[in-house]
Amino acid sequence: MIEYRDVYKAFDVPVLAGVSFTVETGETLAVVGPSGTGKSVLLKTTIGLIVPDRGDVIIDGQSVFSSDPEQLQVIRRKAGYVFQNAALFDSMNVFENVAYGLPEKTLKTLGRREVTRRVSRALEEVNLDPAIVLSKLPAELSGGMRKRVGLARAIVGEPQILLYDEPVTGLDPVNAAAVDRLICDIAERTRVTSIVVTHDIEGGLSISDRVALLEGGKLRFLGTPDEFRQSRDPLVRAFADRKAAVQAAMEGSARAGRLADSNTPALS
Amino acid sequence: MSRPPGWIRAVGKVGATVAGHTGGMGLLAWRTATALVTGQVALRDFLAQLYSMGVQSLPLVLVTSILSGVVTSQQGGYQFTGSIPLYVLGSVVTSSVVLELGPVLTAVVVIGRVGARITAELGTMQVSEQIDALYSLGRDPVKVLAAPRILAGMPAMLLLVGISNLVGVLAGMLAARLTIGLGHATFLYGARLFWHSYDLFYSEMKAWAFGFIIPLISVHMGLLTRGGAEGVGRSTTGSVVFMIIAVLVADAMFPPLFLN
Repeated sequence: MIEYRDVYKAFDVPVLAGVSFTVETGETLAVVGPSGTGKSVLLKTTIGLIVPDRGDVIIDGQSVFSSDPEQLQVIRRKAGYVFQNAALFDSMNVFENVAYGLPEKTLKTLGRREVTRRVSRALEEVNLDPAIVLSKLPAELSGGMRKRVGLARAIVGEPQILLYDEPVTGLDPVNAAAVDRLICDIAERTRVTSIVVTHDIEGGLSISDRVALLEGGKLRFLGTPDEFRQSRDPLVRAFADRKAAVQAAMEGSARAGRLADSNTPALS
Repeated sequence: MSRPPGWIRAVGKVGATVAGHTGGMGLLAWRTATALVTGQVALRDFLAQLYSMGVQSLPLVLVTSILSGVVTSQQGGYQFTGSIPLYVLGSVVTSSVVLELGPVLTAVVVIGRVGARITAELGTMQVSEQIDALYSLGRDPVKVLAAPRILAGMPAMLLLVGISNLVGVLAGMLAARLTIGLGHATFLYGARLFWHSYDLFYSEMKAWAFGFIIPLISVHMGLLTRGGAEGVGRSTTGSVVFMIIAVLVADAMFPPLFLN
């Protein structure tokens, strides 16, 4: 279980303004919201990549921000983190990148053959052919393949928590759907606790057990995908119904245009 | 209460920046020492950095040291001819190269070839979230990235400065023969006349200090990088300026501390 307790973080202006909620073990939570509302910051605070100014994150009863460095490493090893741009190590090939996801001690004790077996299995789980990609460098991969390798690196150590930062951003609809499917498959098969930060509302609603909407650094909505779709909150409705959101935006700009026209002096 | 004048605020800002960098580098040095003492620095990473900093810098260091020896010898020969016994040239070239030119020019070469690369490499890793990825995988970037680079800098510079000194003096001796006809024996007589064995130790002490300063600053600046490709460019430029100033300031502190 992951518990966020009054997490507050400011970079000149508050990005997270005291966020509190809980993610149950085995649950998949989608975090959505307008750009710049602290979704990625919230995800990074989960394993202490960003230290909040106030508040704490509790993972399985253990405080992330009261832990010493060794305890923090143990907490981090419980989690796999899928970065927005995969964050693969440029100087390492796919095999080395994915193998790096195994704990240091495990890497030292396992033989090369066993490491190769685990890496290959992780790559197969994300629908990549190890025979083709193992020796490739990240620069030789497409965006979709890089995301999958990033996901393979996150799952190879069999984590109890998976944190996804914009897993489908920059992907075409087919690849985005494939990555969404992978997230679902992994969650169902391993019962891992997942938090998915995404701008893809439809994808987020289809893969999650619950949805959290952040706005202005605060939690505006937390509920099931059905509750999200049926909410009367205008912001939630704007997110749930893209067509309505586009229409509202167009009406807003037309009204602004009319106002501007009425304030513009006539040219003589 | 009125605000302090602009210059006081500017001095305060610079002071705070310097204190921040000094503290950051002190902490980095401490964590590197801790990683070394507790045996958490991979020998393979250390050797890779030693090869990259030392062996791969050798060609450029050789060119620089040959040219510095030749130029010192020629200019000394031009000034001494007809006024001072020419054997003194051996001492002038040897002292100039060993005490000053060898360590400082080698440091400048290493700053340009290695220091800038380290800052750009770590800066790119920082802005592309690779450093965060290391943390998320339970690895400490100081142990994995910083310590091997900082620890390899010192032996690499010792090696490079030693070779630079030797090659610079030999090049100066050869140039003296070719330009003013000063024989090797006369050159070496002059070199031995004012030679102190301590000079070589002094030169290697400088190498040791520069070999610590350069990777420490370059790693520190790389890990501080923010803001995409522009940020990497900015921090690399800042790092090179910072390293050159630090090396020259350290160089200026050596004579009063170790030659008196």
